[in-house]
Parts: sequence; structure tokens; C-alpha cells
Amino acid sequence: MSQVIRRKRLGLIALEAVMIILALVYIYPIFLMFINSLKPFGEVVSNVIALPKNITIQNYVDVVQKMHYFQLFSNNVIITVIGVTGIIALSALAAYILDRRRMRYTKLAYLLIITPMLIPFQTFMITLLKVMTVAHLAGSTWGLGIQYWGFGVPMAVFIYFNFMNTIPREMDESALIDGATTFRTFRSIIFPMLKTITTTIVVLDVMWIWNDFLLPLLMVNGRTETKTLVLSAYTFVGQFNTQWHYAMTAMVLTVLPSIIIFIALQRNIVQGVVAGAIKG
Amino acid sequence: MIYVHHICFSDSILTDEVHTVKSRRNQAETVLYTLPCLALVALTIYLPFVLSGYYSLTQWNGIAREPMFIGLGNYAELLRGDGSFMRALVFTGKYTIVSMVALNALALALAVALVKDLKSRNVLRSVFFIPYILSMTIVGFIWQFIFSKGFDEFFKMTGFAFLNLSWLGDVKLVFYSVVFVGVWQAVGFYVVLYIAGLQSIPADIMEAAVMDGAHGLTKFFRITLPMITSSVVTCVLLSMINSLKVFDTILALTKGGPAGSTYSATLEIYREAFQNNNYGLGSAKSLVFFLIVLALTLFVLRAFRNREDAI
Repeated sequence: MSQVIRRKRLGLIALEAVMIILALVYIYPIFLMFINSLKPFGEVVSNVIALPKNITIQNYVDVVQKMHYFQLFSNNVIITVIGVTGIIALSALAAYILDRRRMRYTKLAYLLIITPMLIPFQTFMITLLKVMTVAHLAGSTWGLGIQYWGFGVPMAVFIYFNFMNTIPREMDESALIDGATTFRTFRSIIFPMLKTITTTIVVLDVMWIWNDFLLPLLMVNGRTETKTLVLSAYTFVGQFNTQWHYAMTAMVLTVLPSIIIFIALQRNIVQGVVAGAIKG
Repeated sequence: MIYVHHICFSDSILTDEVHTVKSRRNQAETVLYTLPCLALVALTIYLPFVLSGYYSLTQWNGIAREPMFIGLGNYAELLRGDGSFMRALVFTGKYTIVSMVALNALALALAVALVKDLKSRNVLRSVFFIPYILSMTIVGFIWQFIFSKGFDEFFKMTGFAFLNLSWLGDVKLVFYSVVFVGVWQAVGFYVVLYIAGLQSIPADIMEAAVMDGAHGLTKFFRITLPMITSSVVTCVLLSMINSLKVFDTILALTKGGPAGSTYSATLEIYREAFQNNNYGLGSAKSLVFFLIVLALTLFVLRAFRNREDAI
């Protein structure tokens, strides 16, 4: 028996070793990007895989200035905050009402709201640009943020709606009988109880909006004042595609916020992604 | 979806008159609180969608004030035109099939390893997940750098012949490079989904299976896999839909090249509309693409449902 256990333990150690090597190889491209962003141009050209001999942050100083990093960063924050706040507020309220008042109108409204989950964005992006230009929602960060409401609402309502029946109706009925308005009941009783599912939706939507490429490309690509980080990295890398030290630095600066947030909130993010995929 | 009919209030105490006033106010409220969502979805999705249906029947360069109505001309053009759309569809189909198989097989294998009692398993899980949180555009650029500069250097060091191949320049090889990068970026997502599935299998079932002499692959295919059917369905469906829509990584990695060999359907739609300025033809292409995605999604859902009924 002890031999079986020993063999099993050896097997686990071997597996662990294999997995660690695999993980190192897997993550190596990201590591390579980091080390090259810390090298002067000459070192990148002479050998891309060597570790930097003289670590320099000059690339960062230059690129932050050249790509207007702080402006772009704040654009991203504005777009993401407007987008996510709106999606959460509108979807949670709508899902609550749709769940609690079952009638012909709410059934139809629910179907109309969630059906777009089946329509890929690329199938209507051509005319979307026209419609958004007419609606004055193209070409500005706040306009783009509002557009995300429309694109984010279907999945958010779907997830909230399916979660709503875990909240006992007695909770809101007693508040309503005590004279609280529907909105008040929602705000002070229902919404706080939706915390876990709200976290899930926030995680999914922040990741999506922060890294989105195609919609910003169509809507806000014109000026630095409205561009997003990813969009700007795309043009920047295109422009500096022979000066890899700058390109690498721009890429690091673009993904750094995501990596830092991921390391800080790992557990929430992974749980959110899993919950979102299973419910969505 | 199961609808449970429910009456909002038990209003036996209320007189009929109060009741009507109250229910009218309730109805107004119901509409008021759901209308913003409906209006937004209508404005950003339904209206453009319907309009692209209309524009697919016109010739329109986006600049001319009035699109010219040409009936089904654009759809005929798709069939007899230069074949670029067909080529993009074939590429997308091949890309989707290979990616789906690679993603699910790899993710399942990694997940099985990462639910074992390894000391470093939490760190390992995070490592495999990290590429998924990065922008796909940047992922494309990272790999462009590695395929061009990195491989050169490694070839000098090791002399392995495969490092000296033109992974982004050769019409045949580039397909595998594009699939590889897509898998590298997304596999961590499917790993965490499969891990969640594997962890939900009750321990006593596994123990019973081992007692009955199930080991290794038999155990995996006879016990583990059937127990996580719902995870498999989710992963297969999501990997299919996401692969069909592939855009960012390819744009950053190859821009559709070399010689147009890596144009995906979405990239082709984008090119037709925003580079060739054929908004009408582009709209026709996008509607055909929509129908294909919808049909495949429903097909996969139905196939799995029948399967589950059979079990």
C-alpha cells in the first residue's frame, strides 16, 4: 500500500515539474516583451532574447510622451466607467421589474432585450457607424460609453434575470406594503442583495470594454482626445514597427493596467468569468 | 425558460377602485423602468441591423447621399464575384474547426492536470489565464515580434529547422500560426471553465469508479467526461462562436496577408465596407455571415440537446 502511495506522490511531483516548465514556456512571450521594453534600441537589434545589459527606463519616458499615455489612459477610464455604470444600473433595474411583474409586456420586453446576444457585432457595424453619427454618439468618449450600454445590456439583463428568483419575493413585498416606492425598494433592498452577480457582470464588462478594439476603431479613432489605449497602441506599433524598443514599451504600457488589476483581484476575476460563461 | 406566473400583490384588502389606480401606476412604472434598456438595444442593435438589411439591397459607397436600390444584386455578386468572400468563409470555417478542437482538447488536458493536488496549482492556473485578460490586438503584436525576431534568434542559438520557416510569410504555414496565437490567447478561459466543471463532480462517484477498477483513460472517458457534459457544451459553443468572429488578433498579426490568405469573414466585411467603401456589398456579406453563425449556433445547441436526451 505504501508503495502505491509513494508511486502516486512521485507521479504528482513529475506532473508538477512538467506543468511548471510548460507554464514558463507559455508565459515566455510576455516576459520577452517586458525585457525588450527595458533595453536600449541597440540591444534589441543585436539580440532580442538576451536579458538587458543596461536596464533603462528611457523607453518608457519617451513612449509615455509620444503616445500621450495619460490622456489615453483617462479616456479608457472614462469610457469604461460610463459604460459599466450604465449597464449595471439599467440592467439590474429592468431585470428586477421583468422578473417581478409577469405579464405579456414583460415577456416580450425580456425577449427583445436578450435576443441581440445572438447577433454578432460585425454584422451591423457598417450601418451602426451611420446611426451613431446621426445620433451624435460617435466621435466622443462619453458617446462611446453610452453605446456600450446598448451592447452590454442584453447579457447583463439575462444574467440578472436568471439570478433574480433566488431573492425571495417576501423581501420586497414587505417593503412595498410598508409604503416604500418600487425604486426605493430596488435601491435599498434588492440591489445590495445582487452583489455577487453584480461583481461578475462588472468583471466581464470591464475586461470587454477596456480591451475592445473594433467599436472604438469605428467610433473614436480620429483624435488623440478620444482614442483608447489599445487603439493608440495599434497605430503606434504600426508607425514604429522597425523601432521595436518603442513598440514593446507601448505594448507593455497598454497591457500593464490589466495585468496589475488581474494580480490584485485574481479570485474575483476568475470566479466572475466562470459564472458569466456558465450563466451567459 | 420557465415562466412562473405570479401576481404582484395580494390585494384583497384594497377596494377595486384603489386597485385600478394602483395597477395603472404599476403598469406605467413597468414600462418606465424597462424602456431605457429596450430603447438602447433598439438604437444600437436592432435599427442598424434592419438598416443593413436594407442597404444590402443597394449600391452605396457611403459618400453618395442616396443609396441606389439594386435588389438582390449584391447577393448575386457574392456568388459570382471575385470569390474573396467565399475564400474568407472557407478560411473562417477551417480556422473555427481547428481552433475548437485544439482549444477544447488542450484546455481539458490542462484542467485535468490542474485539479490534481499540486503545490503550485494556483499560480499555474493564473499563468495560463493571463493571456486571456490581455488585449487581443497586443497579443497579435507580441507574436508578430516572436515569429519574426524571436524565432531568428532562437534559430541561431539552437539550429532547429522549424524556427527558420517563414511562419507569417508562407501561405500554408500562416494558417497554423494564426490558429496557434488564437489558442494561446484563449485557452486559459476554457481551462478555468473545465476546472469548475471537474470540481463539481462529487468525490464519492470518483471513488466508487476507482473501487470498481476504472483507471486512466477509461476513467476519464467513461466517468469524468460524461459528468462534465454541461461544461463541454458551454466550452464547445463559446469556442465556436468566438472563433467564427475572429478579428483583432489577425488584424494585428497578419493584416489578412500574405496574399489575402488569412482574411476571416469579419475582416473581409470590414475591408469591403471601410476600405473598399462598398457599404451595400459589405452589408450583404454581413447578413450572410449572420445567418451562418445563427444556423451553426442553433445546430450545435440542438445536437447537444438530443445527445443529452439520449443519455
